[in-house]
Amino acid sequence: MNAVFLAVFLVSVALVIVRDPAAFLPALLSGSGKAVSACLALAASYAVWMGFLKIAESAGILRGMARAMRPLSSRLLRTRNEKALEQVAVNLSANFFGMGGAATPAGISAMNLLGADKDSEFSRAMFFAVNCSGVQLFPATALALRVQAGAENPYSILLPAYLSELAALLLGVALVLLFYGRKRR
Amino acid sequence: MIWPSYILPVLFAAVLLVAAFRRVKAYDCFAEGVKGVLPLLASLFPYIAGITVLAELFEASGLSAGLRSALSPAFTALGVPEEIAPLFLIKPFSGSGSLSLLGDLLSRYGADSYIGRCASVVYASGETVFYLSALYFAGRGGKRPALPVFIAFVANFLSALLGCLFCRIL
Repeated sequence: MNAVFLAVFLVSVALVIVRDPAAFLPALLSGSGKAVSACLALAASYAVWMGFLKIAESAGILRGMARAMRPLSSRLLRTRNEKALEQVAVNLSANFFGMGGAATPAGISAMNLLGADKDSEFSRAMFFAVNCSGVQLFPATALALRVQAGAENPYSILLPAYLSELAALLLGVALVLLFYGRKRR
Repeated sequence: MIWPSYILPVLFAAVLLVAAFRRVKAYDCFAEGVKGVLPLLASLFPYIAGITVLAELFEASGLSAGLRSALSPAFTALGVPEEIAPLFLIKPFSGSGSLSLLGDLLSRYGADSYIGRCASVVYASGETVFYLSALYFAGRGGKRPALPVFIAFVANFLSALLGCLFCRIL
């Protein structure tokens, strides 16, 4: 990441100097401004979800969900870290039901908890790959936009979308197994 | 189209009912959960700022536009309409960016056109890989965070290509 940052930054600066040096500082400030507003938006949605999730956790609901998904998730991620599996269960089911706002904070804490494991590289890579495949029951945002744009048949994308998500999932899992999977357990 | 909007209120009500049934102190728990928000954001903000500053500079330098026009023949060769290439490029970085781009494509080419359907599938499948990696790998320094990101990126890219193919034959 450090090398990418350096390379993209330097090439971009060189181009900005040639084209329009006055645009340099405004671009940087608009970038950091975007980070500030993104964090404010995240703070608002995290406050709702993390509060709600704490209630669900205290009521024992998260533990139940994690237990139900345990046979699958524990084998896939190769971890027995109960706390992490709980957050993984929340993240995956929130993603599946299209609640991105709830998924992200749980995903972050799952990542951190998985990082506490002894051999965490595999679990973290696998979790990230599964997470990024975007498998969901109902792509609500895309469908809403299609209806808004006056689609005759807004649902015609469901089958190709499912197939494409499934391909991303299988491919991601396969690649992680290929790169990390040699030593078993 | 209406039933998804029922999911959240019903879910919240159900969880709170279970909490009440098990005598959980709901208000204290809610506050306890929210307490974790600011430390979480404090650890995320530096990395988000790094990415957004870089992305803005990337855009301002004209590098992104140049890259886009340079890559469009490659996308056409892969069976992706030229109009959708920007979506492929923005999707890994920004959810709001690809959202506005999808809205634009749908209104310009029609939601039922091949371009409209293909754009919807590309948007719906996969995730904002680089954005998520900034969030997920910010906390603890993994030894090789580049590899998982690369894997997820490749998987998403290929499956989006497949999605365009499925749109054509289905």
